Formats: sequence, C-alpha cells, structure tokens
Amino acid sequence: MDECQSAIPTVDGELHVVAAAHHIVKALGTTKNLSDDLRKILINLDAHLSTMTSNIDSKGGKGFFGVEEQLKRVERKIMIWEAEQMMIWDSGPKDTSDYLEAVDEVQTLIDGLQSLSVYENRKRKELLRRASSLLQMAMSRLEDELIHMLAKHRQQFEPSKYVSCRSTRWNVVYNESFDSLEDEPAKETSSRNCTSNESSEYIVDLVPAHVIPDIKSIAKVMFTSDYGQEFCEAFIGERKEALEQYFAVLKMGKLSIGDVLQMEWTSLSSEMNKWTRSMKIMFRVYLASEKRLCDQILGEFGSCNLFCFLEISKATLLCLLNFGEAVAMGPHQPEKLLRLLDMYETLSDLVPDIDALFSEEAGSFVRTEFHGLLERLADSVKASFNTFRVSVSSNKSVYPFPGGGVHPLSKYVMNYIRMFPEYCNTLNLLLEDRHSDAANLVTELQCGRNASLSTSCPMACHLRSITSSLESNLHKKSKLYKDEALQHIFLMNNIHYMVQKVKDSELRHFFGDEWMRKHNAKFQQHEMNYERSTWSSVISLLKDDNPGSSSLSKSTFKERCKAFGIAFEEVYKTQTSWCIPNPQLREDLQISTSLKVVHAYRTFLGRNPAHDEKCVKHTVEDVEKSLLDLFEGSPRSLRNSPRRVKP
Amino acid sequence: MNANEYQGSFLGRISIRRNQVVVMDAIHEQELEDIELFQKHVSDRFSELSSPSDDDAVLSISWLCKLLDVFLCCEAEFEAILLMDRDPYQLSKPPFDRLIPELLDRAVKALDICNAVTNGVESVRHCQKLAEIAISALDQKPIGDGEVKRAKRALSTLMAAINLDDKDGTNAKSTERSWSFGRRSGNKDRVAGQFRSLSWQVAKNWSAAKQIQSTIYNLVAPRGAEASGLPSPIYTMNVIMIFVMWALVAAIPCQERTGLPTHFPVPKQLNWAHSLIGLQEKIADEWKKKEKKGMAGLLDEMQRMEKSAQSLIDFTDSFQFPGDAEKLQEAAGHVAELTEICRIMEQGLTPLQMHIREVFHRIVRSRTEFLDVLEKASLPVI
Repeated sequence: MDECQSAIPTVDGELHVVAAAHHIVKALGTTKNLSDDLRKILINLDAHLSTMTSNIDSKGGKGFFGVEEQLKRVERKIMIWEAEQMMIWDSGPKDTSDYLEAVDEVQTLIDGLQSLSVYENRKRKELLRRASSLLQMAMSRLEDELIHMLAKHRQQFEPSKYVSCRSTRWNVVYNESFDSLEDEPAKETSSRNCTSNESSEYIVDLVPAHVIPDIKSIAKVMFTSDYGQEFCEAFIGERKEALEQYFAVLKMGKLSIGDVLQMEWTSLSSEMNKWTRSMKIMFRVYLASEKRLCDQILGEFGSCNLFCFLEISKATLLCLLNFGEAVAMGPHQPEKLLRLLDMYETLSDLVPDIDALFSEEAGSFVRTEFHGLLERLADSVKASFNTFRVSVSSNKSVYPFPGGGVHPLSKYVMNYIRMFPEYCNTLNLLLEDRHSDAANLVTELQCGRNASLSTSCPMACHLRSITSSLESNLHKKSKLYKDEALQHIFLMNNIHYMVQKVKDSELRHFFGDEWMRKHNAKFQQHEMNYERSTWSSVISLLKDDNPGSSSLSKSTFKERCKAFGIAFEEVYKTQTSWCIPNPQLREDLQISTSLKVVHAYRTFLGRNPAHDEKCVKHTVEDVEKSLLDLFEGSPRSLRNSPRRVKP
Repeated sequence: MNANEYQGSFLGRISIRRNQVVVMDAIHEQELEDIELFQKHVSDRFSELSSPSDDDAVLSISWLCKLLDVFLCCEAEFEAILLMDRDPYQLSKPPFDRLIPELLDRAVKALDICNAVTNGVESVRHCQKLAEIAISALDQKPIGDGEVKRAKRALSTLMAAINLDDKDGTNAKSTERSWSFGRRSGNKDRVAGQFRSLSWQVAKNWSAAKQIQSTIYNLVAPRGAEASGLPSPIYTMNVIMIFVMWALVAAIPCQERTGLPTHFPVPKQLNWAHSLIGLQEKIADEWKKKEKKGMAGLLDEMQRMEKSAQSLIDFTDSFQFPGDAEKLQEAAGHVAELTEICRIMEQGLTPLQMHIREVFHRIVRSRTEFLDVLEKASLPVI
C-alpha cells in the first residue's frame, strides 16, 4: 500500500499504467470465491487507483473530482432508502444487492481516502467526513434491516414433535401424596419403549435457510465496516427474545424459589414434568440449533459466535437452573421421588450436550452450574428415597382397616416401587453408596454387581428392604383386629397382593424366585391359619366323639345341630363383611373351606340319618351355597333370611 | 478466627461433652466467647467496608465483591457457632423454634434476590457493550458526523436502558420494537435497534422491594436474657443478610424496586452494628436522591457511566463539524472515563456474578444444614 502511495505518478504517461492496473483489479474483483482478505485488498487497491486516477486527472489541483462524483452517486443510492418506508430486504434481491454494493463502495472510498492521509487536503477531509457519515447511515439502516429480518423470519415450532414420549410417562400416576393413601392409582400406561432416538439431536432452522445468506451479507458488511459490535448487540437482542418466546411456548411458569417451595404437590409435580420436558427441548432442539445459527452467521468473525450464543441463552438457562435448584432444596417428600428421578435422569443425559454446547472458557459457568445441579438432584433423590422408606415403616393406623382387605399402604408402596425398575441404572448408581449407612441392610447386601437386572443389585436389595418394612408394618396393623382370623385374612390379602404385584411386573427380576417362594408360602400359611382359627372349633362340633358307635343320641345330635347352626350363622354374619378382593384367592379359600366344612357336615348328617330333619336347620347345600357369600365385603345374615329348608 | 482456632475449640468441646453435666458452665462460657468474637469480626469487617479506598468506592463492583466476601465469612462463622457440636433439641425449643424458621424463611427470600440481581448484572453488561460502541465511535480522529451519529445512537440506547422503568421491562420493549418497525419516521431521536430490555427471571409479580420489605418485617433485636445468648448471633446474621441483599438491590438493576425500604431498624447501641448502620444510612440517602430519577441503581460504575454518557449525548447534540476544540477535549475526557469504566466492568462483572452465585449456593447449603438439624430434633427418641 505504502508503495502505491509513494508512487503517485507525476507523468501523464503513468496514467495509462494506473488505468491498466485498475482494469485488472476490477476484473479480479468480479471473480467469485475470493477469500475475504483478498477481496478487501482488491477493494482497497481499487480505491487507491481511482483516487490516483482522479488526482492525476486533475493534476492534483481541484483533485478528488471523480471521488466526489462517485460519492454523490452512492449517496443517492443510500439516501433513497432513508425516505422509504419499505424494508430493503423486503423489496427484492436487486435492491438488496444494489444497496450492499453501494455500502461496499462507500467503504472502499473511505479506505481510499484514509490511505491518502499523507496529503493534507481539505477536500479529502470533507469527502471522508461525508463518506463516513453516509456509512453510519447505512449501518444504522442495516441494523434495522437485520432486526426486521430476524423478527420476520422467526420460525415457530411445535415442540412436541421433538421429544420422545418418555417424558410423558407416568403422567397420570402418583399425583397423590403419600398422606392420601386412597384408591389404587390410575393404571400406568406408558413405558419407556421409545428411547431409541433419545440421543439424537433435533437441529432445526430457527431462521429459514434461505434467509441465512442475507443475514450473513449484513454481518459481513457490518463487520468489514467495523460495526460488528452493533451487529452483535442487535443479533443478541433479537435472538434472545426469540429464545424466550420458544421457552414461553413450553409453558414453564416463571417461578420464584419461594413459590416453588410453597407449591402444593399436584402443581409442583406438573411443573417438574414441564421442566424435564423443557430441558430436553431447550438443549436438544433450541440451544443446539441456536448454536448452529450463531456459527453459521458469525463463525467467520473471531469468537463472536461464542459470545453471542452465551448471551442469547443465559437468561433461559438461569431460569431452568433455578427451578432445578428450588426443587432440589425442597422438602424430601416420598411422592417426589419419581419426578426427581426423571429430572435427574434428564439432566444426566443432557450433561454431555451441555458440556459440548458450552465447551469454551466463557461457558464454564454454565457447565459448573449444571454439574452442581446434577449432584444436588442426586442428593435429593437419595433423601427422598430414604423418606419413602421411613414413611413405609412408620405409617401408622389407629383403626383396623375395615374388612381385612388390601391396605392402601400396600397398594401405594407396591404400585410405587413397580416403577423403580424403569430407573434401575440410576437407582443402582445413587443407592450404591448408601450401603455403608444402612447398617441393618448389610447382611442382605452382600451384592454382586455385574448384572443390573438381578436380585443382588443395590436397587433389588433396597426394594426387598422396603417390602420387608411394609410387611412388618402390616403385621403391626393386623394387630388392630380383635379377631385373630381377620388378622390372618388381612395378612393373607396383603401379602398375596404384594406377590401378585411382583409377579406381574418387572419387579420379579429383582425379587427373585426365592422371595416368591417364601412369600407364596407366607400367605398360604395365613390362609391355613385362618381356616384353623375360624373353622376348627365349628368342625369339632361335628366330630364323632366315639368313633366306635354308629350314631349320636338324638339329644346330642339336636344339640350339636343347634350349636353348629349358631356357629355357622355367626361366622356367616361376620365373614360376609370381610373382604378378599382378589377373586381367585377368594374362590380358592371358599373351595378349601367348603371342602372341609361341607365334607364334615355331610359326614355328620350322613352318620345320623335317622334323626328328625327338623333339627337340621341348614342343609348341606345351604351350607355349601352360603360359603360362597363369605368375603364379599357385604354383611349378611342367615337368621333373617327365609329358611332354606326343603319343604 | 483461623481454621486452627476453630478446630481447637471444636475438639475442646467434644471432650468437654463427655462429662457434660459437670461442665455445662464451661460450654456456656465458651459459647459466649464465640459469640463475642463473632460480633467483633462482624464489626471489624463492616468497618473496613465503610472506609473504602479510592479503588473501591461504596457500591462499586469491587466493593460489592468485598461485601459478598464479608457475607460468606460471617455466614461460615455463624454456622459454626450455631451448629457445630450442637444438641439438635436445643434448636427445636423456644425461642429457636421461631427464630430459626424465620431465619430460613429470610434465606429463601435472599435466594430469589440473588437471582434477580444476577439477572440485573446482565443488564449492566448490556450497558457496557453499548458504551463500548460509543467509545469506538468517538475514539476516531478526527470526529465527524458519522462517528457522532454512531455514538449518539448507542448512547441513546444506553440511556434508555438506564432509565428503563424496572416495573415493566418487557412491556417497554415491545412498544419500543413495534415503534422501530413503524419505520424510520423522525429518525433523529429514535432509539436504536439494539435496545434490549431486561427480561425478568423471577415470577411476574415478584418485587424486589416487597421481598426486602418482607425480610425486614418482624425482625426484632433480642432483648433481656436473649440478648446475650444464641439469639443474638441469629439476629446479627439476619441483619447482615438483609443488609447485603438490600445493598445489592439498591446497586444493581432489579425487578420492581419502587418502594424499596430505606431504613431497617437496628438498635444503635449494638456495638457490632455501628459501621453497618453508617453504611446503611449512607446508601439510603443516596437512594432517596436517586429514586425518582433513572433506575439504573446506585452501582458506582453505572452512575459514573450515566454521567459520562449524558455529557457525551449533550456533546453529540451540539456537535458541528469540525467541532469546538475545547468541547472535543472535554468529550475525549468523557470517552476516557467511559473506557475506564468499561474496563472495570469487563474485569469485574463476571467475578461479581460468580460471587452472587456463590452466596446463593452457600445460603442453600446452610439452609439444608439447619433443616437437617431440625429434622434430627423432630425425630422421636428411640
């Protein structure tokens, strides 16, 4: 450049040399695929040559005539748009390229004029002033065009397209709290069968692809003219707003930490769900796409893309972060466990994405914060798990559960832990280090840890420890019944329920055959105990005291019949109100009872055929039929019912 | 108090515990000593804060960092006094069954303030970026119309950001935007396109002023026998927390600060509180002066920035090429000042944000520790 300046031609003949050079430069300038640096050099050269030409032309006197003419020309081109209401980029490619060309020209003029600064010349200064004023006008215009363009082409998305259904699992389940142990929760329908595309990213065009070159052309000319800061600020402002709009679509309420801590469980649960979903969409879709957009547009201008991306995403990130923190610091209710696990797993899945998106030094804040949050969520999971276990063993009842059916606690616990296998890996990871401080478990926790789906992984041990807490609590609850038989019915029902729940779900892998055998035996034992405590005294009435004699005396027979009738009616009255909710189990018990009682009764009547039928209040068929009314949960009485004696 | 001293008294107390009945008095004495030492440290730290050097004027970025450091130190010491080797049942009995939940409640409020302020620092950073644009325009020589216009555009946006009503940051923006799409009428005073508002983080109706008010509400200095026992450091910690949060809100743009209390009652006779009260009065006076004007807050750097930016706007308004030499020189002075402020911000804002975050996490952790102790106390004796 300096050579150019120092070689200002003084001889007319040199004008031709300059002109020739000028032609070559122009010709080169039209070549496509020039690197930016090279193009800039050519543009500069072009400007120098024009100035030289005009200098030589006017013999250095009036000078700059050509430059002034050129400036006037571009001034017109740029000024036209100042009065125009329409946006340049809305009015067609011809206008935009003309405008960009004009701006290029102004920039070239400025460069040329500046490079001639050794020649103090008022005209040069004035032209330079006009040119940079014009450039400022154009830059300000371009900034507006940029904002307009970004706002106009802000793409709308339906976020549900981009998340797998995993995030909606258990949507309907367990919104009730541990304290409201009421009905069986809604049947869980969804499951994790659609995790295959979990890890793939869904990069979308946040700005339509055809607009990118336009934005880039603005970026280029603004950065070339040293207006890069304005470009970045405008770009950040606009994209930040867009990102917040996307975030708003996800309907995550902006909540203060105070709000989150006071929130009732149902709302909190739904907010936790939204967070899980929003995290995935934000990182996998929006932020990944935003990063690409920043790279596409600003990749060529140093580290601007990184700076802009961070600025654009910061506010939204803080929002997500703080909700997570608020949840993690909240009370550790057992009902929070599954949602917390969802949050933990989501974040833990996303951590590699977060690390990749914010890999630079400037993003270290983001990385540290999310890693920290992951730890705090893990602590919260562990604490909630512990609270769950404590609640299971400490849940207290004052009154016996009516009818001896399946206690809500059993339902709650079994349905709840049925979901744990879904989180097996996470729970194994998080529960492992609990071994040391769960001293009472140690004996059971001699775990091999190779297979996750095994009866010896940490989760399996904890599951069994929870069900054994449940069992001992049920034993306590059974003591509330005065009737020993009902205690057995209650335990039979509940243990049977546990066994069923284990058998019918993934839990069976974790509880193992031995547990199943043991617990099958347990409820069968209670079944037998029931039969013994209810029926052995009744059947003993029908027993033959002296096996030798063929029949009883009439009076004894009468007495026995009467006693049997009263006892049977009593049992009937009481036990029709008892409850065995499982039809199979009920039927089994009815059959086995029937076998014993009816058999004994038939034998009894059969051995004494001669006696008056009037003594026999209930026929064998009556007894057999009546036994089917037991355990239906609706109290009945035989005394008030019409006599079922055959005429 | 250094780490060794802590350990000494901690271990000492454990051994004392072994035959605790006999030496209850010794424990009590030790406790009183600890409390006294804690309050002395509080007093020392705040007196240091109230006589700042030139480099860190009250409510400057570096001063705020120091303030947050003071908070962290005091908090650590406070926690040690209250929790270390403490019988949980003691903290579940009156008056602690009231005092501790109240403290934890304030802690939660402080967390939301930390978040609001973190967000506020972002808007300070935005101002810095705008100022940098003005600087790079006005650093040119000679200054022409183009440079002046460029600077003015950035400075107007800057002033708009400073004067933005923090009540409805978002609303202001949307009207602003649609106006700029209305396209280029009256180009002269149009606020530039980079105008960016503070999009608030916290819940919509959340108000920093109300939050501070509610932390002050029912804050009562312990009296009588309580004044010399454990309730007294709890009170001290409450006051420190409120003061720190209040100072942050006053300094940094923050969601809804109208009605920010300028006074919270701390009895003057409390020795440890002298410097804190002095600082509080000083900041309160400043706040009263500024409250009606822009809402950029009392952050020293922002106030200086506002002043320079305003002078430069005046300069750009009256500028006519080639410009009056004297005025040019004056403007160069303001540009140099802005450059210096931007340099400080560039170096200081990220550490400040980190500090605020650290305080946030510390408050969370300490709250958890208190809750753990209370939980232990509430468990039935088995």
